Amino acid sequence: MTSISTSKAEISYIQSGLLSTPPLRADGRGLHDFRTISLETGVAPLANGSAHLNIGKNPHDGGGGTEVLAAAKLEVENVDLGGGEGVDGGRIVCTVSCSPSAYPHLSAPALDDLQHDMSTLLHQTLAHPSLHPPNLGILTGKKSWLLNLDCVVLADAGNTYDALFMAARAALWDCKVPRTRAVEYKAAAAPGAQAVESGEMDVDHDAEAQQSGFDTRSIARAVDFELPDYWDEGKVLGGRERWPVCVTLNVPPGSKGPLVHYLDAIPQEEAATPLRLLLVFSFPPASSPNLQAMRVLGSGELESDQIRDFVANGEKHAHKIWDALNGKLKEEDHRRGQKARDRFARR
Amino acid sequence: MALDRRRINGPEESFPPIFDSDALQWKVGDARKDRSPADIRPIFLQPGLISQANGSAYIETAKTKIACAVYGPRQSKNTAYSEMGRLNVEVKFTPFSCIRRRAPMRDAEDRSIAVAIHQALVSSVRLELLPKSTIDIFVTIIESDGLDGCVASGSVAASTALADAGIELLGLVTSCAASVVGKEIWLDPTEEEGRLSKGTLVLSCMPALKKVTSVWQTGEMKVAEALGCMDACQEKCTEIHSVVAQALLESAKI
Repeated sequence: MTSISTSKAEISYIQSGLLSTPPLRADGRGLHDFRTISLETGVAPLANGSAHLNIGKNPHDGGGGTEVLAAAKLEVENVDLGGGEGVDGGRIVCTVSCSPSAYPHLSAPALDDLQHDMSTLLHQTLAHPSLHPPNLGILTGKKSWLLNLDCVVLADAGNTYDALFMAARAALWDCKVPRTRAVEYKAAAAPGAQAVESGEMDVDHDAEAQQSGFDTRSIARAVDFELPDYWDEGKVLGGRERWPVCVTLNVPPGSKGPLVHYLDAIPQEEAATPLRLLLVFSFPPASSPNLQAMRVLGSGELESDQIRDFVANGEKHAHKIWDALNGKLKEEDHRRGQKARDRFARR
Repeated sequence: MALDRRRINGPEESFPPIFDSDALQWKVGDARKDRSPADIRPIFLQPGLISQANGSAYIETAKTKIACAVYGPRQSKNTAYSEMGRLNVEVKFTPFSCIRRRAPMRDAEDRSIAVAIHQALVSSVRLELLPKSTIDIFVTIIESDGLDGCVASGSVAASTALADAGIELLGLVTSCAASVVGKEIWLDPTEEEGRLSKGTLVLSCMPALKKVTSVWQTGEMKVAEALGCMDACQEKCTEIHSVVAQALLESAKI
């Protein structure tokens, strides 16, 4: 798919290395080992939530690795039942763009297709109603937030999908929805209004219309909203701990055993293994894990027993990623909240 | 644009009225309307309907109507040498295929369906026998009733058309969709049922070889539910396989 040009000899060398016992990989990792991942949140000051993620940075010179930048930006949208796209309760749109410098071997249309495919998977998974955050509405029937999640792949050193989902989770975790206060107009009760007898004036008072027992309409009185001046940037997205993580299981061709798969492929390994299985998991605290997306990518066949094993194994791997990511996100929150305040106080 | 202010001008844009249909009143725990959860809609499949194509097929499952034409294998143009053949899938929605009019342009959903159909088929075609060549598959969705149904029926039609074109395949690909609604697994969901569901899964497989070529799942599912969906789909795929084989046999006799 996005493979760099690799010779047949090299491909067969990598494949036989992966299938040998013990398995051998170019960088000496085990089959289920990840490269080092570094993550920082709050990198884009103008976004409502952002994250910068790198998988496989070279520890010596700090270069290399898959690099993904994700930013969530909120926009106010009008809700209208007719033509507009805005809906009550807000909506989410995910976009992935790939930097041409990350894929120098791809032509412009091929790059478009690639980023479109990534966008589709990210959007279909994260914008699904089952994950929709509850606090993206502003005024029922009038205004709502549109959450744009934009991811940029700055460099691709393999395993882009895992990196994208991790970065997306971090950016959405970090996202703050500004507090809003509804504004409504009320007619000041005229002092003489009560004294006026009915029939004398033919004026419909709004207040009276509301009190009528025949009127069962519930009219939203709020017409607009304002942003109250408050010390923090807003509330976090509701249900932010549900955003899923992705794990890519690469299946080398010719593997007969059900358990032969490896994680976190480098580009050369990706070129040598056309078949991969993408599993996107979310781990709700009090129940069994949810599968949020599953895709088979590339040519090759799987048997259903194999898929069963892969899903069971993928769940374990995803749980490790989930725990590690949660730990890091808590630490980042602490770094940017408590520690930043302490540092400010010491000055 | 001149607007005649002396006349009563209609609104600038208009939209069809939205009715509360019965399905929207469905509640969790209610039984499925019209059919049982494990039933799929009846399939009408006719290979060889488009005479100018090398192979073609038309499929109809209730409200989903898809025509598919296969051209090739023919020489790849404007591409570098490739040892393997290329499989090129293009999906088009007709403007009148959905409730909302679809502008006749390449839009986002077309490509995602094309990618899903490509994924379902690519492992079944013996592309290693066709160096430097391309197989073009054009899928036209005449009427759509849910994306998942389009992916599933489109894959079946495309595989039938490939067989009709006489292209070497490892096996016929059949495909089936399933969705989790409440606690039940409903096979072959319509658009409305898809909206009610928590998650949907489309499985494509080659029943003759018992190999799975594609799994396409979105939405929230427990692991057990996903595996249950896959088993149910695989069972139905075997039945669909006999429908496809029968249709191909009949068209070959004529």
